Amino acid sequence: MQPEDDVKLLKAIAARDEAALAQLYDRYRVILFGLLMRILNNREEAEDVLQEVFLQVWRKAEDFDENRGRPFTWLVTLGRSRGIDRLRTLAARDRVAEAGAREAVEEISDAATDAFKSEQRGLVSKALAQLPDEQKRPLMLAYFDGLTQSEIATHLGAPLGTVKTRMRTGLMNLREQLAGKGESFGF
Amino acid sequence: MVHDDYKEMIPARALSALDAAEEQALNEHLENCAECRKDLEDWQATAAALSLTPDPAEPSPQVRERILSEVRKDLSSSKSEVIPLKFTPKRNIWSSFGSLGAIAAVVLFAALAIGLAVLWRQNQGLKAADEFVKLVNTPGARVSELKGIELAQGATAKLAYDGTGRAILMASKLPSVPQGKAYQLWFIVGNKPPMPGKTFVPDSAGNAVLKDEMPREAIDANVFAITVEPERGSTIPTSPIYLRSF
Repeated sequence: MQPEDDVKLLKAIAARDEAALAQLYDRYRVILFGLLMRILNNREEAEDVLQEVFLQVWRKAEDFDENRGRPFTWLVTLGRSRGIDRLRTLAARDRVAEAGAREAVEEISDAATDAFKSEQRGLVSKALAQLPDEQKRPLMLAYFDGLTQSEIATHLGAPLGTVKTRMRTGLMNLREQLAGKGESFGF
Repeated sequence: MVHDDYKEMIPARALSALDAAEEQALNEHLENCAECRKDLEDWQATAAALSLTPDPAEPSPQVRERILSEVRKDLSSSKSEVIPLKFTPKRNIWSSFGSLGAIAAVVLFAALAIGLAVLWRQNQGLKAADEFVKLVNTPGARVSELKGIELAQGATAKLAYDGTGRAILMASKLPSVPQGKAYQLWFIVGNKPPMPGKTFVPDSAGNAVLKDEMPREAIDANVFAITVEPERGSTIPTSPIYLRSF
């Protein structure tokens, strides 16, 4: 999947093309649903938010500006933001410690696996694995659990300044690891 | 804080990990710093890579059906020109006055808006009033007035916005909203479905300030409404109109 194809889809959606929305959904549902399941750990809530996200895409596609970022980034940022909003609403942060009790997910189809960018996923996972745990944990707690730097400092029992430095360094290192792979990632 | 201080905060902002005060300060800086806005876009792209790390998951087929069903309803509603919010035809004040009239109207609106902002400055907050005045004085800025109807008799609001869609709403005498609810701004273009804006909750005196980014399509519309919705906002209005432009 190419970013320019996604741009065309978003333009078509902005022009009220239902089929384009269906195509975008088919392309990104497993990525976004996996992300929302990771954030919410609740199938019903994740499906509800996924629906909200695509209805927002339907209504706000004209807001997408290809000069300000890739469709993938726009869509994922929107989905993650909605997921974190719901998480905060549900005050469900205690499931941070419940990683072992995550809900089972259905097996995904081959086509969906293709669309899931398995190669890119491997590259990101590899890049993350290169990060020291002390840098990786603040990133994960912020991105998937919606914690602020102060909350992360409390959660980890680390000084706030240390958390800020580690988070910034961690994201910089991740960017360096992924440098030059942006085109193939589509973001 | 100086530019470099804000620049250091941007990676955390891309992860939505700043504390509220820091985020507000950075957001204000971003409004006037193109370099930092570009930085934020780049860091958001890096942060988005993290979305690929969870196990992929397949939603139930019903989700797709529900989405497309809502979309079809939306399309059908647009075609039949029936929308959830009905407005009396809006007089286009800008075109009906002609060019000189429009200029006079702009000046009048700006004067009224500045007058309101000055009152607000005295009673509420210097910062919000200053931002409102600054926006009103931006070349090409417009101001629309909203008034409370039925459920919000006596409530008033002014919405200032510029050509980029940057908007500030200042409202007063708003009735309080129930727990878990908030006011939500809507942008309406012709007979198209209302486009959702942000939600906000007034203070105990019924005053509120909201900063929002208007959809591009709404910039020339001049039709605005406020309803009461769940605090996280709705994609379509679910309550009667509390305030509307006229």
